[in-house]
Amino acid sequence: MRGILTIWKKELRVYAVNPTAYAFLAVFLFLSGLFFFLGITLTGEASLRVLASNLAIAELFILPMLTMRHFAEERRQGTLEMLLTSPLSPFSLVIGKWLASLTLCALMFLGTAILPLILAHYGDPDWGVVATTYLGLLLVAGAFCAAGLFSSSLLDDQLAAGLLGIVMLLPFWLVSRAEALVGDELAERVSAFGVLNHLEGFGRGIVDSADVTYFAALTFCFLFLTFRALESRRWR
Amino acid sequence: MAMSQRKRRFAAGGNAILVSALVVVAACVAYLIADLNRVRVDLSADQGSVLLSDTRTKLAMLDRAGSPVMITAFSGQRGKKESYFKDRALLDLVEELDFASQVVEVHFVDLDKDRLTAEKLGVTDYSTVVVQRGEARVDIKDRELFRRVGSGAERRLDFLGEQAVARAFAQLTADNHRVVYTLVGHGELDPQTQDLGGLSEVAAVLEQDDYELKRLDFVRQTDQPVPRVPDDAAALAILRPKVPIPPLEEDLILAYLAGGGSVLIAVDPGTPVPSLLGRLGVVIPSGRVLDKLLVFPYPDRPVPRYKGHRITKDLADDSMVTVVSSAAPVQPSVPAREGIRSSIVLETSRDGWIDRGGEVKNGQGLFEPEIDGAGPASMAIALEVSSDSGLVKKGTARVLVSGDADLFTNGLLTEGPGNSSFVLNSFRWLVGDDDRISVVGKPASVRRLAISAEDIDQIRWLALGLGPILVLLLGAGVWAARRGR
Repeated sequence: MRGILTIWKKELRVYAVNPTAYAFLAVFLFLSGLFFFLGITLTGEASLRVLASNLAIAELFILPMLTMRHFAEERRQGTLEMLLTSPLSPFSLVIGKWLASLTLCALMFLGTAILPLILAHYGDPDWGVVATTYLGLLLVAGAFCAAGLFSSSLLDDQLAAGLLGIVMLLPFWLVSRAEALVGDELAERVSAFGVLNHLEGFGRGIVDSADVTYFAALTFCFLFLTFRALESRRWR
Repeated sequence: MAMSQRKRRFAAGGNAILVSALVVVAACVAYLIADLNRVRVDLSADQGSVLLSDTRTKLAMLDRAGSPVMITAFSGQRGKKESYFKDRALLDLVEELDFASQVVEVHFVDLDKDRLTAEKLGVTDYSTVVVQRGEARVDIKDRELFRRVGSGAERRLDFLGEQAVARAFAQLTADNHRVVYTLVGHGELDPQTQDLGGLSEVAAVLEQDDYELKRLDFVRQTDQPVPRVPDDAAALAILRPKVPIPPLEEDLILAYLAGGGSVLIAVDPGTPVPSLLGRLGVVIPSGRVLDKLLVFPYPDRPVPRYKGHRITKDLADDSMVTVVSSAAPVQPSVPAREGIRSSIVLETSRDGWIDRGGEVKNGQGLFEPEIDGAGPASMAIALEVSSDSGLVKKGTARVLVSGDADLFTNGLLTEGPGNSSFVLNSFRWLVGDDDRISVVGKPASVRRLAISAEDIDQIRWLALGLGPILVLLLGAGVWAARRGR
């Protein structure tokens, strides 16, 4: 636990002094504002549903870029070997870095808190639905950060790792829109694995155990694969 | 040496791949198990995202029947202002129906794109829902799915789709068309009157279960050789006669009851009490029911408590309040009549009483033990009359006596969250559709923003500019501080 906390603090410090993180945060807030503005002008509704589905897609591109440096950069600087031979376990390393990314995402979402406040000023939003929408976005962020970490653990080049992360996550978005590509029956089966389908309920105020399990399973798989990828350095 | 190292790497790699694959498979299995045993919690304020208890009851009936039901919902017209809300409401509904039932299959069709499906079903209008079960089919039009309420800035669009689909389920479930007659000719409440004192909205609510409300006038009855309650009557409602019902007509009602019929009798304080109530062991004492627990701001509207009757069980479980207006006390006679089982349906709290005039403070009556009757005071009772009573020859007759006739009018139907359910469940119990008794809900409405053209600029700046600029300034500060070090 102390190991996780050490890595978490270290990564947050790196984020805090890294201008790139601020640039990503600014882009994220701009996109959030844009989706929010388009959503309310198109629908006139005191809701974050349009924002949530679009923001999930934006997360798909932003988060692998945000997490790409975690292992790729350590490897480039030669500090990964040091970390792996230190008393810290690979498990602490993976979880610490993942938690740091997730914390940054939570701060990003906190930055969008002005949007529900705008809704409250001009209307009467359903706060239960607002809360579940953010919960859904945070679960998506958790899974995408884990995927970004996995891609970062595979490649030495940061940019390549970021792009690999996006490529890995794209199918989870595309299967949500499967009905446009394949027949109804097949679409129904494969779309069960789409991120947007599992985010949809949160946008209506519903917390479904299947949706939560989906995101938890996705996150767990990617974190486990990251752990295995780091461990593989011992026998490769 | 090199060979053994390669072997070791191969073994370790193979093991790692196998374990990873197993973990991924285990995660997929965990998800599939969770998908099959879903637990859903609706955290929205109006609980509008999960299906109403009434719809769930009907879906359970369809599931029990087994034959598949196909729901095809067609999109709204693209580019129209309300299409987004309409499509989203329909999509949410069909998704919930699909989730809640084993036999219901749902399709959402973009009418502009999928013309073939529209032509196959003969649908030409946007925002239409087609519900099919075998050969039977019910088409639900846009005007039945959505209702515009209010005007100006207060104008909103209510979604009535769930109730409409539930009504379609009722129409498609076996042959459940029932006729409920309302007695007229003595100044009773009229099903054709559309004002607050009428029953037109009640008739619409009853339609949800395919119950038809028809007038019955013994004097002008031309379709029978002798006046009588028609054979197709599932129940008879006598709602607040303003003049006493002639004995001859009361005999006709008793004859109907003798055949195992069902009757709803509703009176108000001070209105004539049908004398047949006495034969059924029901007493309507003088006065009106009051309670310290009142519906604000009305001084004559006690908050009723539900007693353990089938009509109100689900309302009690869901804590749905039924609002009554000025109510007359309704009591079973003591001692109870043989062969008549009476149950209190609505009554006041222990702080309630039967008020018979006297002192009034701040517009509210006060309990005066010397003239008033002590509470709790019952406002509605249900009777099951068996052949042991000597009144019934065949089966068991059901009678519901309410001390508040307004409870069944348009005016009070939407006054309390439980009112429409109480009315519909009363009739369901009377006609013997006990398995349909459930809570019906209110329409879902969209939460609109009140934004003017000037507000738009302000929102654009706040949403798009403020956050990113602050973050960029912070980032620039951090960058400058690091360079300065």
